[in-house]
Amino acid sequence: MAQLLNQLPGAVAQGLIWGIMAIGVYITFRILDIADLTVDGSFATGGAVAAILITSGVNPWLATLIALVVGMLAGAVTGVFHTSMGIPAILAGILTQLALYSVNLRIQGIGTDLGSRANVPMSINKYKNMLVSLRNVGHMALDNPIWLMLLVTLVLIGIMYWFFGTEYGCSLRAVGSNQQMARAQGINTNTGKLVGLMISNGLVAFSGALMAQYQGFADVSMGRGAIVIGLAAVIIGEVIFGKLFRNFALKLLAVSLGAIIYYLVIQVVLWLGLNTDDLKLLTALVVAVFLAMPYWKDRILTRKLKGGKHHG
Amino acid sequence: MKKVVSLLLVLALVLGVCAFASAEDKTYNVGILQLIQHPALDAATQGFKDALTEKLGDKVAFDEGNASGDSNNCAQIAGQLVSKQVDLIMANATPAMLACATATADIPVLATSITNYESAMEIELTEDGATGLNVSGTSDLAPLDGQADMIKELFPEAKTVGLLYCNAEPNSIFQIKTIEGYLTALGLECKRYGFNDSNDLASVVQTATECDVLYIPTDNTAAGNTEAIANVVIPAKVPVVAGEEGICAGCGVATLTISYYDIGYKTGEMAYDILVNGADIAAMPIAYAPQFTKKYNATNAAELGVTIPEGYLPIE
Repeated sequence: MAQLLNQLPGAVAQGLIWGIMAIGVYITFRILDIADLTVDGSFATGGAVAAILITSGVNPWLATLIALVVGMLAGAVTGVFHTSMGIPAILAGILTQLALYSVNLRIQGIGTDLGSRANVPMSINKYKNMLVSLRNVGHMALDNPIWLMLLVTLVLIGIMYWFFGTEYGCSLRAVGSNQQMARAQGINTNTGKLVGLMISNGLVAFSGALMAQYQGFADVSMGRGAIVIGLAAVIIGEVIFGKLFRNFALKLLAVSLGAIIYYLVIQVVLWLGLNTDDLKLLTALVVAVFLAMPYWKDRILTRKLKGGKHHG
Repeated sequence: MKKVVSLLLVLALVLGVCAFASAEDKTYNVGILQLIQHPALDAATQGFKDALTEKLGDKVAFDEGNASGDSNNCAQIAGQLVSKQVDLIMANATPAMLACATATADIPVLATSITNYESAMEIELTEDGATGLNVSGTSDLAPLDGQADMIKELFPEAKTVGLLYCNAEPNSIFQIKTIEGYLTALGLECKRYGFNDSNDLASVVQTATECDVLYIPTDNTAAGNTEAIANVVIPAKVPVVAGEEGICAGCGVATLTISYYDIGYKTGEMAYDILVNGADIAAMPIAYAPQFTKKYNATNAAELGVTIPEGYLPIE
C-alpha cells in the first residue's frame, strides 16, 4: 500500500500534463463536434519543437510557447484540408497526422548531419531549467512538477473560459452545436472550425512539449494513441463530474481531473499486478466502460420509470 | 506473568534472528523496462535475466514492464520502478533508458540494445568509456569493420560493392557511411543504391546488380522485403552480405552478426557486479558484444556457387 502511495504523485503529474492535451481534445470533440486525429502527430510535434529548442539553449518557457504556435499551424493544416478541400474531418486529421510523422523526424533532425532523428534526449542533469521533470516528482519542494502543472492548468482554463465567453468564442460554440443555425446568423463556420482546430492542436502541442521535458526526451512515436487518452480523460471527466460541474470552466477542470483519474486507474491496476503487455487492452476497456456508463445509466433509469408506471 | 515475559523474550529473540538472517540473504529487486515486444529486445532481456538468475538464484526478483512501444508508458513505468525503490533498473532500448535516467539519479540504470551512448544520451564518455552518471550498459553496435573484412574474405576478386539501403532510415545511412570508409580502405569501390520504400525497391536492386557484390545493413525496409530482393539478386548471380541474420536468411549469402542474448547476458553480469560486489556504475565502461557470429545461408551460397570457408555457422 505504501508503495502505491509513493506512485501516486507520478500519476497525478502525468495526468495533469495529459489534462492539457485533453482540454485540447475537448475543444474539438465536444465544442466543435469534430473527432480530430491530428493530435497523435501534433503531440509529438510539440515535443520535437521543445526538445530541439531547449537543447540548443532556448529558454524552456519560450520553447514550450513556440511549440504551442507550431501545434496551431498543424491544426491549421487539418483545418484547410477539411474546410477548403472538403475532406471529411476524420480523414483530414489522419492525413495531417501521417504527414507530421515525417515533419517531426525532420524537426528532430535539425542540426544533425543526417537531417532526421527519431529521438532527442534532454537530460535533466544538463538542462536544469526545464519546467517539469519526472526526477522531482517525489519531492515535497516547489520543484515538484505537480505545483507548476496545477498553476499552468488553472491559467489555461482561465484563458479558455475568457475566450469562449467573448463574442467570437460564443460564435465558435454555435458552430459546434448547430452549423445551419450558426451560418444563418452570419457566422463563417469554416473559419470557426479552422480556429477551433488551431486552438486545440496548440494546446496538444503545448502538452507534448511539457511531456517531453517531463520524461527527458522527445520521441517521434510519443503521440501514438494520444487521442485515446485524450478522449478517455474527456469522458471520464464528464461521467464523474457531469452532474456537479455545469459551468464551462468547471467542465474544463473536469476534463483535467479525468486525465488524472485515468492515470490513477492505470497505476492502481499496474500495482495490482497487471502485465504491462496488456496495458493497451486495459486502456481500451477503461475508455469503453466509461463511454458505456451514460448509456447504462439511461437504461436503468427508463426501466425504473416504466416499472413505476406499471405499479401506478 | 513470568511466562508471558519469557515468551515475549523468546519471541523477540526469534524475530531478531529472523531479521538478521533476512539481512544475510538479501533479495535483490531488479526492475526491467523494455521499450517494445520485439524478438531482438526480448532476447536481450532474457539474457539479462538468465545471467542474474544463474548467479543469484532465488535471491533476485524481477519487476518487468514493457512499454509496448509507447514512450509515455516508459515514463510511467520508470516512475513506478523508482517509487518501488528497486535495487537496480535494466532499461532495454533508447527511450526506455532515457526515461529511467530522467526518473532517478541514485538507482543504477543499466541499459542494453543502445547503439551509441554518446548520441543517445547527448553526453561524452569518460576516457575509460564510462558515462560518469548512474548509467552504464551494453551496446548493440554492429561490427561494421568486421563485415567489411568479411566481404573481402569471401569475395577477394570483387572490385565494386553496391551498398543497398532505404534512404528514409537514418540508422541505415549511418551504417552505409561508416562501412564505406572501411571498404574503401580495403581497396574496394563503393556505389550507393538508396531506395525510398518497397515500391521502388525492385528497380533499384535491378540497377545495383551491376556490382560484383552487394551489402545491406540492418535496414527495416530491406528486412521486410528480402523475398523481393532475392528474386532479383539470385538470378543475377550477385551475392549479398547482410548486416544481420534476418536479411541474410532471406536474400543473403553470409553475415557477421551480434547476438542480443549475449549483450543482455553481459548486462546481467554487470548488474551482478553492481549489486553484489558494489561496483561503481559511474565508472563502469560501456560494454560491447563479447563475440560476433559468422553465419551463412546454405541454400543461397549453393545457388550462387559461393564457397564458404571454415568457421561459419549455417542459418537454420
